[in-house]
Amino acid sequence: MSITNYFQPQSLDEALIFLDEHKDALLVMGGGTVTMPLINEGVSAPEKVMGLKNAGLNYIHQQNGRVVIGATTTLSQVLVEAPLPMLGEAARNTAAWTIRNMATVGGNFFVPPPAGDFATALLALDAELKLVRQGQERFVPVSEFFTGFMANVLQPGELLAEIHVPIPQGQTAFIKFGRKVANTPAVVTVAAHVQFDGALVQAARIAMNAVGPHPVRARKAEEILLGSPLSDEAINTAASTAAEECEPFTDAVASEWYRRKMVKVYVSRVLKNIAGKEG
Amino acid sequence: MAAKIVTFNLNGREIDVLVKPLTTMQTLLREQLEYFATKSGCRQGGCGSCTILVDGEPMASCLLPVEDVAGKEVTTLEGITPDLGLHPIQEAFFDNYAMQCGYCTPGIIMVSKALLDRNPHPNRREIVEALAGNVCRCTGYEPIIRAVQDAAARMNGQQGGA
Repeated sequence: MSITNYFQPQSLDEALIFLDEHKDALLVMGGGTVTMPLINEGVSAPEKVMGLKNAGLNYIHQQNGRVVIGATTTLSQVLVEAPLPMLGEAARNTAAWTIRNMATVGGNFFVPPPAGDFATALLALDAELKLVRQGQERFVPVSEFFTGFMANVLQPGELLAEIHVPIPQGQTAFIKFGRKVANTPAVVTVAAHVQFDGALVQAARIAMNAVGPHPVRARKAEEILLGSPLSDEAINTAASTAAEECEPFTDAVASEWYRRKMVKVYVSRVLKNIAGKEG
Repeated sequence: MAAKIVTFNLNGREIDVLVKPLTTMQTLLREQLEYFATKSGCRQGGCGSCTILVDGEPMASCLLPVEDVAGKEVTTLEGITPDLGLHPIQEAFFDNYAMQCGYCTPGIIMVSKALLDRNPHPNRREIVEALAGNVCRCTGYEPIIRAVQDAAARMNGQQGGA
């Protein structure tokens, strides 16, 4: 191993200076729960690494109807503070205590499926990501952040600094289905937000993980729900549609065939959970 | 960059160590300091056998750069073991046959310590949730759960329930 530098910036500004200077030569690390295993195995052999733990991005606060989460806030912090019920549920269902004490909210956007359950909840909540570089910042919705497997819109010199989550106006539900009840990769994870106008669905977002190259929305299933009551029939049609439109994969956890079956089951359960809360 | 001096508190004692960039706590403890209670299992954060406490929080030492614990308090199993005898959690594990090969035991005891420090009366569900990141291939977990319940009773000053 030939790591020559481990930078530990003490502020966001300092981190951006390092990043501007070293650009793509610098491997950016949050809690290290994804980066360090690859380094330990020799799969990744970076020369320069920047750790963000001390960069002051460790906070949760509310601002203008949004929950603002600093990128290096740990999942344990989210679990304790639970700024929104779905975020508490997503944190509780991600990894185990030791890992939640290290893994960060921002880091969850840079992990390959079937990991990335927390980002899936943030996709369903229509969160926006604050991407910063020296002297500039921009906001990108989570739904536009991913461009492919382990690929995203982040430019060289740019850093994910904050996650802005609009406070949900409707009902939310999150279910992760794994092979064990805790500390397990997902067979499938489903998170949804449904907003009602009277008894009719006015807006719906269904996010799924472990059924594509990154957390994805079930857009066709969402459209089916619009303008109708969240009836058992509508839920069944939406769940079948989600199972058709997703692109599951086979790995050690589950087969493509099984994941597709489970998408139908768990989209249905999440929507029924929401219908139960509303009715 | 050359090796760096990092200062932190290990088991109640300030120490300075000289490490290469991104050396893990696991490597430092086992290969430099010869603290062998902290095990080297999967080195992926998946097995829990390397768990140490950093400012009282359980963390996977295989994923933790030494530079990250600068100025912090690190506790390993060596740190909670008295000079003579055993810590009540260790006694409870011994009396409840909560180990066979013993490889997972230091990590499980460190997580149990962190749990009992926060919650002196954990129920079964809370114990299981706390230990969900620790893999044991021998015991089937039931003796471990009993041992943590027994340790809680001992630490709360009651008669051991072994």
